[in-house]
Amino acid sequence: MSGSSSSKESLVVPLQPVTPPSRGPGFDVLDLPILGRFLRWRHARMSLQIPLFIIAVIMIWDGLTGSQLAPKNLATTITWVHYRGLLILGLLVAGNLFCMACPFMLPRNLARRFFQPTRMLPRYLRNKWAALVILGLFFFLYELFDLWATPWWTAWVIVIYFAAALAIDSLFKGAPFCKYICPLGQFNFASSLVSPLEVKVRDPQICHSCRTKDCIKGNDRVNGCELWLFQERKVGNMDCTFCLDCIHACPHDNVGISARIPGSELLTNSFRSGIGWFSRRLDMSVLMIIFTFGALINAFGMVSPVYALQAWMAEVFNTQNEAPILGSIFFFGLVIEPLILLTVAGVVTQRWAGQSDSLLTIITRYAYALVPLGFGVWVAHYLFHFLIGFWTFVPLTQSLLAEFGITVLGTPRWELGPLAPEGFLNPVEWGFIGLGCFGSLLIAYQIARRDAPQHPWRAFLPWAVLVLLLTIVGFWLMALPMEMRGTSFG
Amino acid sequence: MRIQHYLLFAFLLLLVACSRNTGGQDLADVQVDLSINPDPPAMGASVVTVTLEDLSNVPIEGATVELEGNMNHAGMAPVFSEANETSPGRYEADLDFTMGGDWFMIVRAQLSDGRTLERQIDIGNVRSS
Repeated sequence: MSGSSSSKESLVVPLQPVTPPSRGPGFDVLDLPILGRFLRWRHARMSLQIPLFIIAVIMIWDGLTGSQLAPKNLATTITWVHYRGLLILGLLVAGNLFCMACPFMLPRNLARRFFQPTRMLPRYLRNKWAALVILGLFFFLYELFDLWATPWWTAWVIVIYFAAALAIDSLFKGAPFCKYICPLGQFNFASSLVSPLEVKVRDPQICHSCRTKDCIKGNDRVNGCELWLFQERKVGNMDCTFCLDCIHACPHDNVGISARIPGSELLTNSFRSGIGWFSRRLDMSVLMIIFTFGALINAFGMVSPVYALQAWMAEVFNTQNEAPILGSIFFFGLVIEPLILLTVAGVVTQRWAGQSDSLLTIITRYAYALVPLGFGVWVAHYLFHFLIGFWTFVPLTQSLLAEFGITVLGTPRWELGPLAPEGFLNPVEWGFIGLGCFGSLLIAYQIARRDAPQHPWRAFLPWAVLVLLLTIVGFWLMALPMEMRGTSFG
Repeated sequence: MRIQHYLLFAFLLLLVACSRNTGGQDLADVQVDLSINPDPPAMGASVVTVTLEDLSNVPIEGATVELEGNMNHAGMAPVFSEANETSPGRYEADLDFTMGGDWFMIVRAQLSDGRTLERQIDIGNVRSS
């Protein structure tokens, strides 16, 4: 990849870590009295995974054997309402908490007590491309098979996750499932770029003098980072599952969970351990694009215009088969549309700001600026479902217990549902999309300043127009009345 | 195949085998017809009419009929209503569709002969405006 002089400077491998030179007064979760002590405990992660594992088993059981009406089943309700809402809230206010407590890792960890894989994942798979295909496919299949409306298939999705994590991590060393395969993990990694917490070195000087490097190598008690993020060179949250291994392994108590400005790592184009340079990772950049445009297409799938569009396409294509129609919509929304919009923005930046970088380089760099907006749309969408259906787990739990003759929680109160009044939801949705837009504009401008110091505004404006255009689409989608569909076509 | 895979497979088989009786009983000799005003159904207040007949199209009178409307998306509270018999075998209830989208109605009826019926009827495409 070619680059301008300014870009070349920003691509130099930093000899010094990008973290502050000494332990500052910044907030560190590990310094908190109870929570900090808990997280330092070696079995903290497992103690979070076990409850989620039990809940997952109950969801699988209810999904496969219980009522196949989605609102009456824990598999669909917990997965598509509560889990997604809590996941996005965790990413918004803290960090990658779901990966930290991921139940899919529990059987895999148990299996590794008995045998250790000896092979590495083939080199050609050590990137995000496979995960990207799976993520895009998942978005499509979610709509095609109305996963939100089918407890049976939702349960199987959970089972497949467990099986895939177990199979892949049983065959290959490290944590290849998390790093290269898991679509949910990639969603969390992209979202956590704008999270306010980060696992990072407290005092780089201590790392310089460290000879054992337990944070990456591990020791006889704790594994080193299985995602190959060497703390001394680690930048930001990408690929970090918050597994706490580095914190527990460090003999100097020199790794913490620090507060930071959300999204600030998107401004850093330095070498990242286990990743390389963001600006040279086309696969990573495409992940950010799929993440952002996927947020819009996912929301588009729940409002009335999509049904009118489907009906029109069914007439034009003369088919009642939903797969090719939905496939065309997704292909346009996740491939064609981003390709056109980003190419136009890239070409204008290249010509107007006189950048000598290739078009692909420019698009790869600016794609990261879309992440805050994409995250804002995901937050808006998931919070809608979460807030409107929060209390539905109560009657479902009551009903499940009553099935076994346990009536201590009373008769099911099916009328329970919203946590917040409906009038409260639109301002919340618009607020998060607006915040995301602001973040994206800010990052796009900073990238423009860094990569095109002679004409930052000329480099920035095409991307600002793109961000504003996508923001307007986001506002429009949220302003439309939600129509939750599952079975009908057209 | 490793031992863990066998265990997982056995666990899944066990889950599938443990099917539960989670729904009410349907009656094959009762015809249930449902209509909604406005037609096509739209978000907001609606009148739902349930017609109960036997297989010879004779109206079934004197039943107690309850309706439960659910969206097929998880996470939406259901809406309930009791129906009144307005003419022989014809029962009407007011129901509020709280959101546009796909719904299904669970019709529960206790017949005058003491038998109970529960039937699910899909209501696709409730318009949001």
